[in-house]
Amino acid sequence: MNSFTLKIVTPDGLIFDGQAEELVVRTVAGDMGILAGHADCVAPLGMGLATVMVDGEKRYGACIGGMVSVLNGQVKLVPTTFEWSDKIDVARAVASEERAKSVLADKSSSDTDLRLAESRLKRALIRQRVHGYK
Amino acid sequence: MAGVSTKEIKTRIRSMESTRQITRAMEMVASAKLRKAQQQATDCRPYFETLYKVIWDIVGSDAQLDSPYLTGKPGKKAAFVVISGDRGLAGGYNSNVMKLFTAQAEGLDPVVLPMGRKGADYCKTHGVASLTENYTWAEGVSIGDCFSVAKRLCKGFLAGEFHRVYVVYTQFRSVLSQEPQCLQLLPLQKGQAMQGESRQITYEPDSVTVFETIVPEYLGGVLYGALCQSRASEQAARRTAMDAATQNAQEMIDGLSLQFNRARQAAITQEITEIVAGSQ
Repeated sequence: MNSFTLKIVTPDGLIFDGQAEELVVRTVAGDMGILAGHADCVAPLGMGLATVMVDGEKRYGACIGGMVSVLNGQVKLVPTTFEWSDKIDVARAVASEERAKSVLADKSSSDTDLRLAESRLKRALIRQRVHGYK
Repeated sequence: MAGVSTKEIKTRIRSMESTRQITRAMEMVASAKLRKAQQQATDCRPYFETLYKVIWDIVGSDAQLDSPYLTGKPGKKAAFVVISGDRGLAGGYNSNVMKLFTAQAEGLDPVVLPMGRKGADYCKTHGVASLTENYTWAEGVSIGDCFSVAKRLCKGFLAGEFHRVYVVYTQFRSVLSQEPQCLQLLPLQKGQAMQGESRQITYEPDSVTVFETIVPEYLGGVLYGALCQSRASEQAARRTAMDAATQNAQEMIDGLSLQFNRARQAAITQEITEIVAGSQ
């Protein structure tokens, strides 16, 4: 299979830099698959599972926020957070889910708190789900 | 009398010693903090650079692109995010940032969003309007805060509250060299960035949505990168300054010790002379 240059960078550092054969990410408009020779394109990322195929092996990651760009055959994934499935701290995600749920259940929470809790819950659920992929 | 002067010298030596102790401790604290801040700055750098490059590549290679973020409206209102330190005693670190800001803001109508207590204090004493005081403690600003600031700035920019957005920070070159920098974040000037032939870029779902989502993301990322660099620079500047202060204190102590020993010796000599003279 043809490969392309993929770079994954987050504020916490360089996650991946090398050749990959396939990348599937969740954008705001739904899942998007990228193979070698993809046309130039830019899309903002949503929250969800990212699949990277390297040397015929699939790796999974939880990819949240940011954007993906393909320019001149170079693919750059610039998410706000990205964690490989084996590096996810599940205990933290579960705790975060509990906290978010308690805020959502609380009737006195303000709108901003609700919004924050909602996205926190979403992130926690995605992390837990992605952790199941090996 | 010789006795009085040795006592005076002794007091001065003691006070210099305690000063040296303080500056040395501060240097060590700064070194420890620097290590952490430097790590963070290096981790963040690829993100900062990639983000910046991707945005400018898009803006530079698509001639058809149109977005309010690109053109902006003419006007003199400018928002400055000024990243400074929370504490002094860091050599020229804080004053260099302020100097650059003052130079950049000349001829513009500036409104400042200070990150760092020193920047906030400067605005207060110089009568510069500040946008919000929520982020005056630079060490406590998180990446989430950077994204909220970015959202606020984008909203203000689109609403015409200000016509340009800058960030003033200190670039961390190395432990020994830091340089204040001013980056224009908005508008993304198309004319300057045009390079090579125009390409057709696909936007998912469409260019308006893409830019609405990406630009705040870009601003937040760049701000966070600038913040990391500034923090590392602050600690490096403080370490250098405190190292120099410790050395100066040591030099003064050496000089004073010499004086002290001379005075003591002189007193002894005099005493001996007196005894000898008395016995004769």
